[in-house]
Amino acid sequence: MRFIRRYNSATPRLIDSIVGTNIGARLMRVSLGLIVLTLIALPFADLAITTRDPWSELGRMFVGFITPNILATESPLHAVLLTVAFAFWGVALGILLGFPLALLFMRSRLVRVGCAFVRAIHELFWALLFLQVFGLSAITALAAIALPYAGIFAKVYAEILLQIDTAPQQTLPQGVDRLSRFLYTELPLAWARLASYTRYRFECALRASVLLGFVGLPTLGFHLESAFRQGRYHEAGALLWAFYLLIALLPFWAHRRLVPLWLLGTLFLLGPWPTVDGELLWRFLSVDIWPQPLLAGDFKGLALWFTQLPDLLPAIGNTLLLGLMSTAGSLVVCLLLWPLASRHFGQRATRWLGTGALIGLRSTPELLLAFIFLLLVGPSLLPAWLALSLHNGALIAFLAARHADQLKFGMPGLKGVNLYAYELMPRIYPGILALLFYRAEVIIRETALLGMLGVATLGFHIDSSFAYLMFDQAVALLLITALLNIGVDALSRRLRPDALAPTIERTCEG
Amino acid sequence: MRWLFALALTVASSTALADTFRFTAIPDEDEARLVERFDKVADYLSEQTGLDVEYIPVKSYAAAVSAFRNNQVQLAWFGGLTGVQARQLVPGSEAIAQGKEDAAFKTYFIANTATGIEPNEDALPEAIKDKSFTFGAKTSTSGRLMPEYYLRERFDEAPESIFSRVGFSDDHTRTMALVQAGTYDIGALNYTVWEAAVKDGRVDTDKVQVIWSTPTYPDYQWTIRGDVDQRYGEDTKAKVQKALLGMTDPDLLESFPRDGFIKASNDDYSPIEKVGKELGLLR
Amino acid sequence: MSLIELHHVDLGHGSHIVLPDLSLTIRRGERVALLGRSGVGKSTLLEMLRQQLANQVAWCPQADSLVPTLSAYHNIYMGRLEQFSRWRNVINLLRPFKQPWQDINALGAELGLEEVMRRQVDQLSGGQRQRVAIARALYQNKPTFVGDEPVASVDPHQGARLIELIHTRHETTIVALHQRELALAHFERIIGLDAGRIVIDAPSHTLDPDTLDALYQTV
Repeated sequence: MRFIRRYNSATPRLIDSIVGTNIGARLMRVSLGLIVLTLIALPFADLAITTRDPWSELGRMFVGFITPNILATESPLHAVLLTVAFAFWGVALGILLGFPLALLFMRSRLVRVGCAFVRAIHELFWALLFLQVFGLSAITALAAIALPYAGIFAKVYAEILLQIDTAPQQTLPQGVDRLSRFLYTELPLAWARLASYTRYRFECALRASVLLGFVGLPTLGFHLESAFRQGRYHEAGALLWAFYLLIALLPFWAHRRLVPLWLLGTLFLLGPWPTVDGELLWRFLSVDIWPQPLLAGDFKGLALWFTQLPDLLPAIGNTLLLGLMSTAGSLVVCLLLWPLASRHFGQRATRWLGTGALIGLRSTPELLLAFIFLLLVGPSLLPAWLALSLHNGALIAFLAARHADQLKFGMPGLKGVNLYAYELMPRIYPGILALLFYRAEVIIRETALLGMLGVATLGFHIDSSFAYLMFDQAVALLLITALLNIGVDALSRRLRPDALAPTIERTCEG
Repeated sequence: MRWLFALALTVASSTALADTFRFTAIPDEDEARLVERFDKVADYLSEQTGLDVEYIPVKSYAAAVSAFRNNQVQLAWFGGLTGVQARQLVPGSEAIAQGKEDAAFKTYFIANTATGIEPNEDALPEAIKDKSFTFGAKTSTSGRLMPEYYLRERFDEAPESIFSRVGFSDDHTRTMALVQAGTYDIGALNYTVWEAAVKDGRVDTDKVQVIWSTPTYPDYQWTIRGDVDQRYGEDTKAKVQKALLGMTDPDLLESFPRDGFIKASNDDYSPIEKVGKELGLLR
Repeated sequence: MSLIELHHVDLGHGSHIVLPDLSLTIRRGERVALLGRSGVGKSTLLEMLRQQLANQVAWCPQADSLVPTLSAYHNIYMGRLEQFSRWRNVINLLRPFKQPWQDINALGAELGLEEVMRRQVDQLSGGQRQRVAIARALYQNKPTFVGDEPVASVDPHQGARLIELIHTRHETTIVALHQRELALAHFERIIGLDAGRIVIDAPSHTLDPDTLDALYQTV
């Protein structure tokens, strides 16, 4: 007679950590490996510092930032509301699509591969693709958010559903249909975590929505990018402040109860809907995105086509190098910064400042950070490295601080470094590392945005291909990027302490 | 699935765009308050042609080309290269007018004075080799296409081999700022942007100066879709062209900024097309 | 008539045998208490009974098997999920049906739960949660009750009352317990497990607390 009983997956690990099958040692190995690998790779990176007189430009930026001019932007309220509208509807459609996929996720390899693919491509690149057929319309914006988010939701929801306590299901009478079982046990058990993850994603969608402005959709980013690019820093400052406020006040205006109101209220902002030219759509799908020689069956021509692709190896090398360095950089930044926002350290005032600084760093578009560093240290991989490390490090630090704040522990009276090293770090480090490896994939995607630094990553070439209207080339490069991302994701999944990830994700309330 | 859904959405709301004539334009510099400025141009065109004219703001030439291709705009103020791109994608479309300055447009190469590179009227100085260099936007005619062409002509090498580093600032104003700050040693930009900045004192000529000016080439132009007569009634194209050529109000012209508009044709841009193909930016 | 008969079977999870070579017969109508230290195989035995008897069993596990984010009413309703159509179940989640609402409220009143029917289970006290779990088992309306520590976190007095309620509602009761006094006073037969074997199997009136204490001595 055999019984199959599923243990809660955390149980054996918990036991391991008590009896010392050294999960701690494993985490330490992974972290040190990451740092050492980065140090080894460092000599290959282009980190030249060349600069002469950045101060007058930086001074103008600073003045603009502290004396923002709200009236400089045309209809700023519309831009803010549209940013919010795209985020709400993008996430809503993402859930609509992603949730059913989550139920199939563990059973269907096809679904898993499909999801890995759609989320491997940056929202901006999806937007550039959809732009070709839907033009500058809400369809482009919503599709660019909803599609990758569906892939992300499918994966994360499936993981959450897999990790719920199975005891309640086992007590059900025999013969309960699947739907009732799901609605009465699995869904309510997973609800809190599904909801908090969705909230976290909403904040990400808000940032993505701003970013969509960079390719021309009229969100906050539209005006922010123009103002910033053309040195109208008073206007850029005002828009940046508006965005910080939007993020900082998120818990108030995006309260659960208000969501239906927002959804309905912003619906009318999304129009007018474009008419889609069927012929154009078909031409795009059947002709534009395929290499011409391939369609003509001309294999010699195809070889030539390949030689006309941009230099791939350096681009892949730069992308991976920057990804690796920024992941390690984010870890260091996070370890240094998270205490700034935690209730265990400092006083009320320092915490308030620390939290503000972290929100500022994670909400400032990387492109903007990169530009500041570009002025400071000159063009190379260095400004990109600093920008990506600070942005992502601050994001993880914020979540780590929230996680630490929820902890209660035994030894009273520990302070400062002792508290950090003995009580807090051992508890939150697995979560930090788990998040870091989640972010590694995002970091790789973000390296795409840094063409102005004179460093050719894959994303730089994709952007060029779109600009030259060579969609076949763009799509080929996107496929390569997606494969690279899927590879990095697979690698980081093997390294990250998976069962420990949820504890920290749950803290993403803000 | 996604596409189907989007299609369904579109069909469901087929109120879509009525027969409003739409145009877009991005000025060489200063994209502040685009709608306010170009709404005046829309009013003028409305008045002159009797059409219901609306301005659609876009921020990049790629987006403008995409909107033109999708028939979201029927008329657009394009750069030299992007105009050629757009006309390739939309058969039957035509260049109907260009700025008075655009028949003989120029690119200035500028250098940070700390590099010690002296201006030269005849040719690009040899001394720019191995310095760092920034273009403007990737598809800008004056910020990318023509400077690259003249760089290759002068040195018979790709920019990446001539310079220690090549960046894309994405904007003429930013090219100026980056070279002034010494982040890049050399830059190439639209001459009207430079001259306007010098006039307004927005650039410190002690720190950055023009070292060479390219020969002239055709640049910005108005391009209109070929199917407008069909959709908006006969002579629409002719009426729009007439209205553009007759635009004399300095207040309107300042938005571009141009002194006035003159006739243009697709053939005027064949040099641009040739260079674009040579450099692999066009197929 | 026997409810279940086991002859020399090995019980365990997968290849891990917890109760080797077990022989046991339980007849209908018996009131059986299962005693022993934690980890000796009580749960394994109960689990087996549950699987063997399938539809005749009302199963009452420890209170942590409730769904914390659902109300007490819905948790109890889950006892009969299989008897209603799926759509009825879906609608009932949003708005309770009259008949089950009345039935479950009546049941809740007997268990002192009438005040908390609409409250989410994770807001209830340990004792209340345990009573919700019992109510769910009672609501199943089955001839046999199988419980794993169903009264562990209520006081002895209330525990006794709950056990009697369970007895009156079921033909057969099989329950794992740790309160010896409760077992002696309210059950007819006591089975003691130790180190994977049955060490005691006798009518309760032949046993006394001291004998049972032996079960809890470390070897």
